[in-house]
Amino acid sequence: MSEAASGSADKSVQVKLVLLGEAAVGKSSVVLRFVSDEFQANKEPTIGAAFLTQKCRLEDRVLRYEIWDTAGQERFHSLAPMYYRNAQAAVVVYDVTKAASLEKAKTWVKELQRQANPNIVIALAGNKIDLVQPSLSGSGSSATESEDEADDATATPGEAAASDAETENPRQVPREEAQAYAQEAGLLFFETSAKTGEGIVEVFTEIAKNIPIESILASSRGAAGRPGTSGNRPGTQEAVNLDENQARGRDACNC
Amino acid sequence: MSTISAQLRNFKEPDRDEQSLLFFAIPPVHVKDDGAGQNNPEDSLHKMEINAMLSLDGAEDSYPGKLHLFPPYLAFASLDRKSVRFTIPLCTVRRVERPNARAGVYSLSILLWHGMKISVQLTSLRPAADQFCALLSMALKAELQAGKMKTVKPFSKTCYSENLILDTSPVADNEREDGSLIDGGRKVGEGNAPAFHGGLGLKFKFPGDPKKLREASKTKLWTTYFRVHGRHLTLLRYPQATRFVQVGLPNRLRGEMWETLSGSIYLRFTNPGRYKQILEENKGRTSTSTEDIEKDLHRSLPEYLAYQSEEGIGALRRVLQAFSYNNPETGYCQAMNILAAAILIYMSEEQAFWLLDVVCDRLLPGYYSPSMHGTLLDQRVFESLVTRCLPVIHEHFQEVDVQLSVASLPWFLSLYINSMPMIFAFRVVDCFFCMGPKVLFQVGLAILKINGEQLLQIQDDGQFIHLMRDYFNSLGDSAHPTSSDPRMRAITKFQELLLVSFREFAVITEETIFSERRRFRNEIIASIEAFSKRSAIRNLKTLERFNKEQVGFIYDALFKAVCVEPPPAPVPPPMSLLTTKDTIEERPETRIGPKTFKVFLSEIATWARDEKIVMNGFQQRVDREVADHELMDRLFWFWDYSYRGALTFQDLVTGLDGIIFSDLMDNIEWFFNLHDKNKDGFLTKDEVLTVSESLLFIFRFEIGDAYLGAVSRFMSNAFEYGDALLPRPEGSGEEDDATPQIESNQPYLSLATFRMVLLADEVLESFFETDLSASFRLEPVPLMELSPSNNGFLGGIWSNIATDTNVKLFHKLSDEVGKTIGRHQVIHRPSIGRYTSIEDTRPRESLLTPAMRHSSSESSLKATSGASSTEAQSRPSVSSAASAATSATLIATDAERHQFALSPTSPAGLDPLAQATNVVANAFLERTPFAIDDAGDDDDDDDDEEEEEPDDVLDEVDAFLDAHETVVTDEDGEVANG
Repeated sequence: MSEAASGSADKSVQVKLVLLGEAAVGKSSVVLRFVSDEFQANKEPTIGAAFLTQKCRLEDRVLRYEIWDTAGQERFHSLAPMYYRNAQAAVVVYDVTKAASLEKAKTWVKELQRQANPNIVIALAGNKIDLVQPSLSGSGSSATESEDEADDATATPGEAAASDAETENPRQVPREEAQAYAQEAGLLFFETSAKTGEGIVEVFTEIAKNIPIESILASSRGAAGRPGTSGNRPGTQEAVNLDENQARGRDACNC
Repeated sequence: MSTISAQLRNFKEPDRDEQSLLFFAIPPVHVKDDGAGQNNPEDSLHKMEINAMLSLDGAEDSYPGKLHLFPPYLAFASLDRKSVRFTIPLCTVRRVERPNARAGVYSLSILLWHGMKISVQLTSLRPAADQFCALLSMALKAELQAGKMKTVKPFSKTCYSENLILDTSPVADNEREDGSLIDGGRKVGEGNAPAFHGGLGLKFKFPGDPKKLREASKTKLWTTYFRVHGRHLTLLRYPQATRFVQVGLPNRLRGEMWETLSGSIYLRFTNPGRYKQILEENKGRTSTSTEDIEKDLHRSLPEYLAYQSEEGIGALRRVLQAFSYNNPETGYCQAMNILAAAILIYMSEEQAFWLLDVVCDRLLPGYYSPSMHGTLLDQRVFESLVTRCLPVIHEHFQEVDVQLSVASLPWFLSLYINSMPMIFAFRVVDCFFCMGPKVLFQVGLAILKINGEQLLQIQDDGQFIHLMRDYFNSLGDSAHPTSSDPRMRAITKFQELLLVSFREFAVITEETIFSERRRFRNEIIASIEAFSKRSAIRNLKTLERFNKEQVGFIYDALFKAVCVEPPPAPVPPPMSLLTTKDTIEERPETRIGPKTFKVFLSEIATWARDEKIVMNGFQQRVDREVADHELMDRLFWFWDYSYRGALTFQDLVTGLDGIIFSDLMDNIEWFFNLHDKNKDGFLTKDEVLTVSESLLFIFRFEIGDAYLGAVSRFMSNAFEYGDALLPRPEGSGEEDDATPQIESNQPYLSLATFRMVLLADEVLESFFETDLSASFRLEPVPLMELSPSNNGFLGGIWSNIATDTNVKLFHKLSDEVGKTIGRHQVIHRPSIGRYTSIEDTRPRESLLTPAMRHSSSESSLKATSGASSTEAQSRPSVSSAASAATSATLIATDAERHQFALSPTSPAGLDPLAQATNVVANAFLERTPFAIDDAGDDDDDDDDEEEEEPDDVLDEVDAFLDAHETVVTDEDGEVANG
């Protein structure tokens, strides 16, 4: 499935992407779902960082994601700069059932915005939504979302329902809260489930759309030209985001 | 998140003795002792080393080397430190004989508990040999008395090697070819079967194909070896043992050999039952570590059968938890789960626990610590070794900007266990425990070397990782698939790897690693500290009005304070509080207590440190000490916004913001609030006194009388205004002379009045307008030395002084010399330093008592003869005492007397006014040495004396010391005459 690493012959654009977030929020599972459309319940924790690649077609372009999946434990934090240096994109993952993980995500965002590549596109992803019932707050957006869900959900809705029945809703981070934060901080925002696959592909597709590809090409050609046209402010594109979700679906990533 | 640790700074290189103990894997005598170590006879036993020649009955060669006595252990290493070595607990020795051999040969025959006889010929001079024997016999006696000899046999029953050397093995029939048990271990521990320790592999099978691994023949080799060379506690490591390890340990023996080779067996032996005890004592305790452990339990070698069952998971949980309880500072680090899961396949929980301890503590120090400094350090060392041994690859990596660590960090951190296929990784681990951490470097270098050709083709980190992954997956393949020689074809890539590791990189020795670690340690520590500083600043909720540099400076001051005065370790909250989880889990954050705070403050506020300029004829330097005053405590509690009794970095930033940027009115209000304990908007009489004490503290080193006068005026005015503004008790007439009585702890002075009183004085006004804020300085405190050496006399010596303690010694020495030749001089440096001129600033005319101030020799006498006798109740008396303070002159110098004592806050019931005079008078008496005063002083030679003729000053000092009353009286006389 994964392409040979030496494939420098093709004209794909290389995008370095780094995954950050608290331990056990599902960073590696998100990548695994994206790269090989698999899910492992018990994934070994990442030591240092794992490296994977995945190609992704966007309109007439082929993006080659080089994904650095980092270790989440606090003490590995000091190693992170090694992985996010030169990254063009970052996915900061939190766990919707753990409020603390969003706090940690915020510190990652802060760090990225100050220390990483200034044009980095950051996506915030609330993972593990298979564990929570659809938000009861009844806002319009979440209603449409749950409709979309039906297309993607390959795995057992029954399981989620059962766990909901016996316990209160385990969701600790309301969608609205995280979304508001993402908007404010200028991040792309998603809720995902690596287990069901929901929302995963969209994360990477949206990032692809928001990346200043031209400047990457320019800089990879060796031109020292400034990559910094401040162009695409990701936060302003929320609307497009929702519209195009259905159209794109899974085929967007042609691996 | 923002934890500040000075631990890295306080690292000490092990001395020679400690290095030997580490080399021989001898556990520290008091291993995390639980109070059992008192009155230990071992403390009085002496260590000794001696040249010796080792030979063994039934074994071929003899080896020259050094025999070490480290009670209660006897250890030997051959001259090259690797061919032959042993570490034997003395309690396994049954007899030591001195055979009557040829003259001139001094040899010992050491008989061990299982009948093995070691011969050592002591080749040192006779007296040394005699002494060694004497010490050895003392050490042996101590062991005997402690009854340790009896513990050996029961312990040996836990070791599988004992089973192997029996002619008829009670368990052999129950074993599969791979060493696992046919009945799944159900019988273990039952009946008479010895309780050999063993791992999960016994039940869940060991990884790999036993035929291919040639388990049987390997086991046989070791069995023969054990018979001759001893086993577990008494294993002698001869060259063939190392070779046997390099071909891979047999499954069933692996666990025991790991603990024997790494030395963790000595820990298990000396701490029987400790593992269970730790678990028992901490049962049910939760912490961040236990939470992290839970997250990873199901993610540790999940493909191995045992870790899909509660049995394996439970064992893993217990070992990791026990380790984290026993090492709360390290706690739990991801990658430890993989290591623990791996070793548990081959060892019992208890064995694994101690092995983990040895790995984290001795073999890979700092690898799993919260800062992971050991990991980062070894990555740096590895990089430097690559630069040295494989320069071409290094250059290519530099060129294409590939970072070695992206691939190599996990190799080291998980001992290759999650990089290579398990069966190969375990063989690296075998070598690691046998030959030490250098193995990780040797294997790493070999990997790069073998893949050198392709590595020169890679262009980025990603390709590097891919290449490595493919290589690891092909380790089982033939290294020479096209060779015509079938024996060549049979060599796997893994065999090739080990060959290259130990042949071509034999130059990488233990010493190489240690010296490289020493070389880069400071660099790594500096970068870790810089990183924590950056993230601490980034994680502040607000920088307030500071810029980044300023906050950086505040951080530096905090860091320095933490180094000097480490805050107490955070106490885990009682369990009952842990259950309420309504708030977001708190991240660990460094909080400092009052003690650390004072050090911090002394870095920032000029008045929070005592600075003495010392001149002794050789050097002029500034001695700096942290001051201690109630004001500093007051500030601590004032800034404790969250009422925790401890301050965070944020608290300090916010606190400083409240004063540094303020103007006159803000500052007055700030100072008012600082002293208004109950925040009711009024100061009590006591608090007014405290204010003046605080001011006197701040002004304690100011030259001239301006500040002292200002404070005394402040006090008299404060009480005057305060009394005047008090509501008159009913029935008393307007002209009633009696001051209305009010308790000293009742609301007394409002902010408005306070402000008015302060603004009535020019000195205080300017202090609050600029000097108070300016006394907090966000700039590095200037270096201690003003000039190292004036006349070059000691210049040469000076440059050789490196350490802090040496510097202190040197200072002391030069002070002494300076004193004897009469050139020693100490001056306090003022904290504010504004009114240094002789002319005084006159107070503004008071609104209420216009002609209050005039000097009176009578009151001066009163004040100096001890204010306790002052019956000052009425206003005029107070003011005269105060003015006396401004008029008298004291010249005092004395190293012992420099401390600045203020009278304690008034005990309840004492009249505050009397107290006030007391304060001023005391402050007056305890004046800063060398303070020059103005009024009534006919300018003698004070100035010249101090600045230009230090010798004379000393005379004057002596004179003062001899009879300082006389001096005072003389001065008084002058004042009176003037």
